[in-house]
Amino acid sequence: MTGRVIVITSGKGGVGKTTTSANIGTALAKEGYKVVLIDTDLGLRNLDLLLGLENRIVYTIVDVIEERCKLKQALVKDKKNPNLSLLAAAQTRDKSAVNAEQLKDICDKLKEKNDFVLIDCPAGIEQGFQNAVAGASEAIVVTTPEMSAIRDADRIIGLLEAKEEIKSYKLLLNRVRPNLIKSNDMMSVDDVVEILSCPLIGIIPEDTGIITSTNKGEPIVNDENSLAGKAYRNVAQRILGEEVPFLDLDEPKGFMAKIKNVFAKLKAKV
Amino acid sequence: MEKGFVENGFIIDLSTTQNTTQLVFELSSIMEHPDVKGKRICLKLGSLDLKQSQLLSIKALIESMDASLAFIDTTSEQTEASAVSLGIIVSKVGDNPAMESYVASPSDMKEESVVIKEENEEVQHTGENEESKTVEVHADITTTHTETHEPISTLEGIEDVYTEQTTDELSEVIPSENFEADFETLAVNEGLISNEEVSKYILLDTGDVLPPDAEENSIDTKTLPTLYINQTLRSGQTVTYEGNILIIGDAHPGSEIIADGDITVWGILGGIAHAGAKGNISSKVRALKLNAIQLRIAGLYARRNDTLNVPYVQKTNEFTPEEAQIEEGKIVIYKKLRRD
Repeated sequence: MTGRVIVITSGKGGVGKTTTSANIGTALAKEGYKVVLIDTDLGLRNLDLLLGLENRIVYTIVDVIEERCKLKQALVKDKKNPNLSLLAAAQTRDKSAVNAEQLKDICDKLKEKNDFVLIDCPAGIEQGFQNAVAGASEAIVVTTPEMSAIRDADRIIGLLEAKEEIKSYKLLLNRVRPNLIKSNDMMSVDDVVEILSCPLIGIIPEDTGIITSTNKGEPIVNDENSLAGKAYRNVAQRILGEEVPFLDLDEPKGFMAKIKNVFAKLKAKV
Repeated sequence: MEKGFVENGFIIDLSTTQNTTQLVFELSSIMEHPDVKGKRICLKLGSLDLKQSQLLSIKALIESMDASLAFIDTTSEQTEASAVSLGIIVSKVGDNPAMESYVASPSDMKEESVVIKEENEEVQHTGENEESKTVEVHADITTTHTETHEPISTLEGIEDVYTEQTTDELSEVIPSENFEADFETLAVNEGLISNEEVSKYILLDTGDVLPPDAEENSIDTKTLPTLYINQTLRSGQTVTYEGNILIIGDAHPGSEIIADGDITVWGILGGIAHAGAKGNISSKVRALKLNAIQLRIAGLYARRNDTLNVPYVQKTNEFTPEEAQIEEGKIVIYKKLRRD
């Protein structure tokens, strides 16, 4: 078995990389695929908190690299889904404890036994980013409809394009607020896609449920009623190659607007 | 079906059911009863073999009725293994389910209240002789305060104060859950349902076991040097020392304290504490509030129970000093509430 290694990155901090990693990972595991999440944010780890696995971490990725434990020992199984496991980052070390070659090695080992290896990338474009990207062959660029996040995403896409190993990259637009788009206070999905000219893999609406889910350590995809949860489940479906229409986030309802919308989405998919 | 009553909970006896379908049917018919809402449920499952997924759906069924699963009683090894991997408590339903738990009354706390003068760190006390002894000890440490990692002389007094207590009378034993736990003792330990702290910590299966010669190789921690630290430990900070560590301040989640001897936190312990890191099983972890994400003593690692819905970072002024140590291959936590 050779699994897919996908890095989740953004450039800017706070746009939802970790939330996205936790949710896509959980959604894929729920579909029955074997998934490993790797937190590469050494020194500022959060992924374990979002999954509620903080109290189970004994060994971290640095312990694996420094050969204090076996790779298998460091994988923390999820509480609910045995298909999902986490390779946590070390909290007491920094990015220099790992290099790109070592991370690539770990990814190569993990993809032999798993369907998906998802890498949660730290913010920035320095060592941490270079490490995280090293083992991946696909990328998901997370951004929000703000100029600063888009500018950083553009920079990241440029860096990803320069990497031979990255075969494909997709855009995930996070924290979209339909009513702000309607009142022209926020860039629309189409605007963002146009600026970045990058295929879209998902649109996640802003959802206050994310805050509670983060605090509880329970990914929002487990909440059947949440819109953001549904959007993340759809992203997982698209990763699996299925055609799932984008959620209707209260976009313009007129006939012409709808047609325009369809074209925009078609364009986005190409 | 027999339905016993437990304080704020029900025991549902399903031990006579033959298969899972029958079990789920019986359970859901009982769960429809309005009284069950918001209660803690104890399931008697008898010898029925349940897989992890089946047990999980039973738990989900109970939770969908706004109740919670307190523990299960089973004689099947498979069910027991499934429960352990899901973090569900396995125990025996005692004959006398009357619940009693030791709770500190405010007057208890007052008895040993200590007045601390902040400016010169001198401590005053109005209690009995033994207690003022503790105070003196701490004052001594203050004077030998070092920021460097230089060992300071051992203070005999510390251990004396602790050994003066007879654990039988003064402390409450809280066995942590163990894969080979003696479930009878768990059940005998009253307050299984009303006192959630029974399984405050759950042993992690790290594959590490205590070596057979651990008992002989254990070193009396009072012979070790002590590192004194007077600051708050924040996330990502690690303190490692070849001796005892004493921290005056809180240890936040994400911090690590690793000592060859004892760890004492005069504040809230919220991070990871590893006492006896080189295998000394007589090491102890003690804190004014023991809220550690993980407690590690020698080769035994325990994680905090997920069912405790208290945030790790929660600060409090209500302190219930606790002390963790190894007893018979288990991590045992003693409450140190008062000294008579």
